[in-house]
Amino acid sequence: MPGKHVGAVAEQPCRRCRDNPSVLVVRTEPLCRDCFLKYVHTKVIKRMESFRVRFSDTDQQRRILLPISFGVSSVTLLSILDQHLRTQAAKTRRTGFSLQVLFVDSSSVEDPPLDDHLLAKVQEQYPDHQYASLPLHDVFRLVDKDTALLTLVPDFRTKKDISAPEQLSSLINSLTSATARADVISSLKTRLVVEHAKSSGCEGVLWGDSTTNLAQKTLSETAKGRGFSLPWQVAEGESPYGITFNYPLRDVLKKELVSFVELSEPSLSPLVHEPSLGATQASMSSKNTTIDDLMKQYFESVEENFPSIVSNVVRTSSKLAPAPGSRSDPHCSLCHMPVVGGRFGIHGWGGDQEDGLETPIIEGAEGLCYGCTRSIPRTATTSNETS
Amino acid sequence: MAPSPCAICKTNRALILRPKDHSKLCKPCFISVFETEIHHTITTNKLFHRGEQIAIGASGGKDSTVLASVLKTLNERYDYGVDLILLSIDEGIKGYRDDSLETVKRNAQQYDMPLTILGYDELYGWTMDQVVEQVGKKGNCTYCGVFRRQALDRGAARLGVKHVVTGHNADDVAETVLMNLLRGDLPRLSRTTSIITSTPSAVSTDPNSHTNIKRSKPLKYAYEKEIVLYAHHKSLDYFSTECIYSPEAFRGSARALIKNLERVRPSAILDVVRSGEDMAKLVPGSDEGCGGVCASAVPAAEEEEGGCGSSNGRTAGGEMATMEQQLAQNEVAAENGLEVEIKSSTLSAPSRKGKKPKGVAPSPRKAPKQVMGQCKRCGYLSSQDVCKACVLLEGLNKNRPKHSIQVDDYAQENTTSGVHSVTNGLKKTHIEVD
Ligand SMILES: [Zn+2]
Ligand SMILES: [Zn+2]
Ligand SMILES: [Zn+2]
Ligand SMILES: [Zn+2]
Repeated sequence: MPGKHVGAVAEQPCRRCRDNPSVLVVRTEPLCRDCFLKYVHTKVIKRMESFRVRFSDTDQQRRILLPISFGVSSVTLLSILDQHLRTQAAKTRRTGFSLQVLFVDSSSVEDPPLDDHLLAKVQEQYPDHQYASLPLHDVFRLVDKDTALLTLVPDFRTKKDISAPEQLSSLINSLTSATARADVISSLKTRLVVEHAKSSGCEGVLWGDSTTNLAQKTLSETAKGRGFSLPWQVAEGESPYGITFNYPLRDVLKKELVSFVELSEPSLSPLVHEPSLGATQASMSSKNTTIDDLMKQYFESVEENFPSIVSNVVRTSSKLAPAPGSRSDPHCSLCHMPVVGGRFGIHGWGGDQEDGLETPIIEGAEGLCYGCTRSIPRTATTSNETS
Repeated sequence: MAPSPCAICKTNRALILRPKDHSKLCKPCFISVFETEIHHTITTNKLFHRGEQIAIGASGGKDSTVLASVLKTLNERYDYGVDLILLSIDEGIKGYRDDSLETVKRNAQQYDMPLTILGYDELYGWTMDQVVEQVGKKGNCTYCGVFRRQALDRGAARLGVKHVVTGHNADDVAETVLMNLLRGDLPRLSRTTSIITSTPSAVSTDPNSHTNIKRSKPLKYAYEKEIVLYAHHKSLDYFSTECIYSPEAFRGSARALIKNLERVRPSAILDVVRSGEDMAKLVPGSDEGCGGVCASAVPAAEEEEGGCGSSNGRTAGGEMATMEQQLAQNEVAAENGLEVEIKSSTLSAPSRKGKKPKGVAPSPRKAPKQVMGQCKRCGYLSSQDVCKACVLLEGLNKNRPKHSIQVDDYAQENTTSGVHSVTNGLKKTHIEVD
C-alpha cells in the first residue's frame, strides 16, 4: 500500500483540510494532527447518538457508567466524552447524560500493579464526573443475594465466615492455569461493574473496547468455548444483566487510540497505564500465556496492514443473534450468560465422549456454562460439597 | 520419578500423554478410548444405518488411513452392518499421486476393502496436467480446488454409493471455524461445523445424481495428534502427504492460531468446535430449529479442503491483501455515501485513491444468506445457475483459456509487504509450555 511509510507521509498535505502537513496515515488517508483527533472524536460521538441532549429528560439526568482501567482505550473514551459533555453544556446549558467513572482494583490477584496516583490524576483532569474505586472482592458483597457465585469459592460451605478478600484469593488460587485465572477475573470484573452500575442508578455501561479489542474478544471467546455468548459480548444493546451495553470505540482501531493518546494536547500518556510491549513479549514465552494474550498479539499484528479485516471480524460476530427464548434460559453462576435449556457444564453434546448425551437437565438448576466449566472444572466445585 | 500407572486401567504403566486432556494412559487403553470415542460419535449422531454402503474418501494420508482402519474395526466389533469401500481420486498430475495411490492400494489389501480409483479424466474429461497445458500455470489452482470439491461426490455417484465419509478431524473443523470468522463468512462457518452435510430435501429427479450424496466426518472430534499416535501405535501404513505448498493466508493464520491455542489449553481445539456448533445456531437466516446442524439445512458443497496440491500461482497472504482492498473500498464507499447524504449542498467529497465508489456498499462481498439450488448442467448443489465446475469445464471445452475466473473470490492477487508482518507475528507467538 502506497504512502504507508512515515517518510512518504511527511511530504503529503492532510487529505481533509489540505492545509497542514500530515502526521500519520489513517486507513490510506494522510491526516494532520487536528484532523486526526477530530476523526477519532467524530467516530466516538456518532456512537453516542442515543444519548443526545434532546433525548434526555429535563428533570431526570441519565446516568451511564464508564469503567476505567487506565489503558489507552478507557482513558481516550473518558477524554472524548468529557470534551463532548463540556461542549454540550456550553451550547445548551445541559448535557445528554452524566458519567460515573469506576475503577475496579484487582491488584490483589493480578499484576502488574497500577500507579496509585492515576485515579487522582484523572479526577483532577476531568473533575466534572463522579468517581469510584472498588476492590474486585466487592463483587461478593454486591451480589450477596446470588449465593451461586459464592459456591464457587473452595471450601465455601465449611468456611462461611471468611472475608471477601479471602474468598477472592481462595477462588483465584484454586485455578490451575493462567488462562483460567484471567478468564474468571474478567467475568468477576464484569459482574462487579454491572452491580455497581445498577446500585448507582446507571442505565447502562460504556465499555472501552476498540475494534481490535472486539475482534480479539470474538476469537478468544470462541477459543474458550463461549461461542454461544458472542451475541452479548460484541453487539450493543440490552445485555443479559438487565442493563444496556455500549461500545463507543468500536469503530476505532487500537493503533489509532495509541496515536490519539500521543497526539492529544496535552498528551494523555501520563494518565495511561499500559504494560510495555516488552513485558507482553516476555510473558509470551512462558507458561503464563493466556488465550487472550495470544489473540491480542495476533490482532495487533493483523491491524497493522489489514485494518478492514479486523473490522470485518467484528461486523461478522455482531451479526450473531441471541437464540430465541434465551431470555427465559437459566444463567451461568459465574459469567451470568444465559445457557440454552440449562445445559450446564461441558457434557451432553456431540464432542463429549465420556458421559453420553443423557446428562439430566434440572429445571432451575444452578451451574456453570461451558466456558466457565473449562476454567473451573466441575470436580473442583463438587469436591467441596462433600468435604 | 516413579512411573505413573495408566489413568484408566490403573495397572499398566502409562506411556502416552493423551493430547486431548493430558491424561496419562497405557497403549491399550489409549487405542481403546480413541476407538470408543469414534464409535460414540457415530452412534450418537446416527451417522450410519445397517445395510448402507459407505465410500471412504482415501488419500493414503494419515487421516483417511486411520478412518479406514477404525471403521473396519468398529464395524466388526459393534456389527454396524455397513459395507465399506475405498474411493480415491487421481487428479492426473504426473508423479503427484504415485506414492499415495500405492499406499491406498496396500490399504485395500490390508483392510480387505474394495478400492476404486477415479481420475479427473473420467470425472471431468480433463486431467490436471491437461488443464495446466490449456490454461497455463497461473490459475490452475482454481480448477484443482473446484474439481476436487466435487470429485468425491461425482465418484460416489458413479459407483452408486450414497454416503461418503472423509477424514476431517477436530483440528480441521476448529481451523475452519476460526478461518471463517477471519474471513467474515458465517454461512460457511455454520455449514462446515456440521458433522453431516447432505441435502435429502433437494431431491433430484435423477436417482444417480450426486446431489443426494451424504457426507460425514466420523473423526470430527478426534485430535490430529491422537490420529498420528493411533496410526503410530497400530503401525498403520500411511503416506505422509505433507503439503509442500503454504495454505492460503486465512487458513494459514487459523492453523497457526489453533496450534498455539492447543499449547496454551489442550481442550481449546474441542472448545472451538463447540463454539462453532453453537454459533451455527445463532447465524441469522439459518434453520432455527436445528441451526444448520441438522442434515436438511446443509448443502453438500464441502468447502473446507485444505491447501491446493498444485498451487503454482498462489502467493502467501495474497488472499488477505485482496480482501483487505475490497473491504477498504466498501468502507470508503459507505463513508462517501454518508458524507454526500449529510452535506448534500456542498460538492461531493473528493474521490479517494481515484476510485469511484459504486454506491453505498457497507457490507462485505458476500450476502449473508446464500440460496442454494442445483446446477442446471450437472445437478450439483450450487448458489449459481451453473456450478463452478461446469463453468470451468465449459471454458476448457471451448478450447480457449479463461482469462478471468470470477468463480473464485479468493483468486490469487498481488501480495503486499504487509503479509510478512502477519506471518512473523504468528511465528513470534509460537510459544512453548511445559
Ligand atoms: Zn488536516
Ligand atoms: Zn459462564
Ligand atoms: Zn491402561
Ligand atoms: Zn455443474
